[in-house]
Amino acid sequence: MSQDQPLKPVLSASVHDVRHFAALLRGVNFANRATVTISKAGLVINVEEARTLLGTAYVNADLFDEYTFSHPTSHSVRNRQSQSPPSSPAENPEDEQEVNVAFEIPLNTLIECLNIFGTAGALPNSNTHNGKKERKWRRVDDDDDEGRFGEERETRTGPIDNYFSRGKDEKKTGMRMSFLGAGYPLTLLIAEDSTGPTTTCEITTFDPEPSLELPFDSETTVLKIILKSSWLRDALLELDPSCDKLTFIGNPPHPPNSSMGASVKPMLRIQAAGTFGSTEMDYPNDKEVLESFACTHPLSVSYHTAHISRTARALASSTKTSLRIDERGLLSLQFLMPSAGVGGAKKGTDAFIEFRCLALDSDL
Amino acid sequence: MRFRASIENVPTFFRIIQAIEKLQKKCIIKFGESEISIICNSDANEGGIQVWSQIKVDSLFTSYRIQSNASNEITMSLSAEALLAALRSASASASSSSSYETEEVVMKLAKKNDQAALSFEISGKTRVGRKVRVAHDVKIEVMKPSDVARLSEPMCPEPDIHILLPPLQKLRTIVERLRPMSDVLAIRASNNGRLQLSIRTDSVTVETLWTDCTNPQMDPDHLFTVIVSIRSFLKFLNSHVVSTTTIACICQNHCMILYVYIGDVADAGGVLTFYIPIMVDDGDH
Repeated sequence: MSQDQPLKPVLSASVHDVRHFAALLRGVNFANRATVTISKAGLVINVEEARTLLGTAYVNADLFDEYTFSHPTSHSVRNRQSQSPPSSPAENPEDEQEVNVAFEIPLNTLIECLNIFGTAGALPNSNTHNGKKERKWRRVDDDDDEGRFGEERETRTGPIDNYFSRGKDEKKTGMRMSFLGAGYPLTLLIAEDSTGPTTTCEITTFDPEPSLELPFDSETTVLKIILKSSWLRDALLELDPSCDKLTFIGNPPHPPNSSMGASVKPMLRIQAAGTFGSTEMDYPNDKEVLESFACTHPLSVSYHTAHISRTARALASSTKTSLRIDERGLLSLQFLMPSAGVGGAKKGTDAFIEFRCLALDSDL
Repeated sequence: MRFRASIENVPTFFRIIQAIEKLQKKCIIKFGESEISIICNSDANEGGIQVWSQIKVDSLFTSYRIQSNASNEITMSLSAEALLAALRSASASASSSSSYETEEVVMKLAKKNDQAALSFEISGKTRVGRKVRVAHDVKIEVMKPSDVARLSEPMCPEPDIHILLPPLQKLRTIVERLRPMSDVLAIRASNNGRLQLSIRTDSVTVETLWTDCTNPQMDPDHLFTVIVSIRSFLKFLNSHVVSTTTIACICQNHCMILYVYIGDVADAGGVLTFYIPIMVDDGDH
């Protein structure tokens, strides 16, 4: 336990193609400060806004080629004391499974660093090779070119396209990441190939602030829908950015023999209201569109459009979406991110990004 | 004062001006008997980047004729943007979306309404074979010999190191990522082929290292450093459109000099020389 001996890193991970990792990070890149929690199972990246919206990216350990998490209690006493609160109950080493280490990091910087060679951009099946970019949801204060709702519009490509687009863009960015413990920077070693240049990044980490917790009460789930992400994305794309309020209206499905008159309430309606008018969109009761639909009683809950639009990037690169609303109006959007891709696909590497958003008060 | 030439190599001239135009609105071009120099030395430049270049007349022009009282040199100051626009229409070809194909571009000194201009006469053919003539007049100011004499290239000490840069396009990708993170960029190079670009801020340290660059002459292992404005460096990297080989020289505590060769080094049509002064790193004080 001598303090001079080199520390064993808390985290050491490597991956030969960072695009997947970068895509997950980009999905929650709506505020610059992110809390990263490291555990044996992987990384959890939390980003919050206005104490109302919480974005979480779950990066499984098996997304990396190599992933080692060693619990910091095995380090010197000095380190244990400086640990962040979440890991403090780790008095006995048997608890290691439960224990994790957290730090805050400027997320933008991390993403820029990963993409330093320009080859950690979009995933092959969610890129913008058609070149047509629409910027419907672009806001005046947005100065980045990426990831508004419009970007992905026409990129519904079949699985075979993955093989083709992989062929022409062979360059990949590989990365080795390590973290020595609280107070140390997150170190990234990035290289494109063995002959090219190598980049070392040391990103300053900060002690984590107590993060926003929005527990979703699955016992009282009112609305639960699973649908293809494109169906939701296209709907949100239609909305005028001047709408400031977005309402989800859900009604329990009616029996098929009931009258199909105008009185039939829509199963799922998305309604947006703003200064210049309002938009309504109804989803049909079709298994093609809504893969699963459950609604216990009629509900109508509103959210800030600005908050919902934060999910655009994640939505755009995801394949399936689960939309849930509980009794208190808390919205949970889970996006299934495509797995590590064709070729090096390992099953079970599907990752998730989850957004939770509080409802606007007036509607409750 | 007489000046007339036909532009043989429009794409190269276009790319050179393209690189210059990003740097400065106005530039100075000195046409000599065998060489032309393009100079950007405005103090208004953010970061103080300067460009001095020598380009062989043969590599751009044919039937080049020049006559003046100032030992057959004409120095003019003109808008790089206007010059670029003229060259853009001169570089029209059937493959581009343009409706005609350029056959000949003649550039000459002219006087229109008491205003000196560089006049471009572009003659071409449309796809159906009709003749097309397009003329551009770029307003210029002919500089007085006394003003020309005052133009002087920056004085630099003997460089500490020369190194061949990796392809500028590659460098540019990296520096563009660094740009949002930092205003200053440290460039280090050693005589054993190591080149390092690095930024250091409160929130991040990023270092990119190349280990297999070529040094024109070999010397010890010492890493020489300059710290420059990242914006200025990006402006220099805009010259990737014209570059083949680039040699970087570091004068520690003074400046960075970059020689961008147009064409092969052995048979270079010209050289663009960029001077980027160092920034004083506040952290050192």
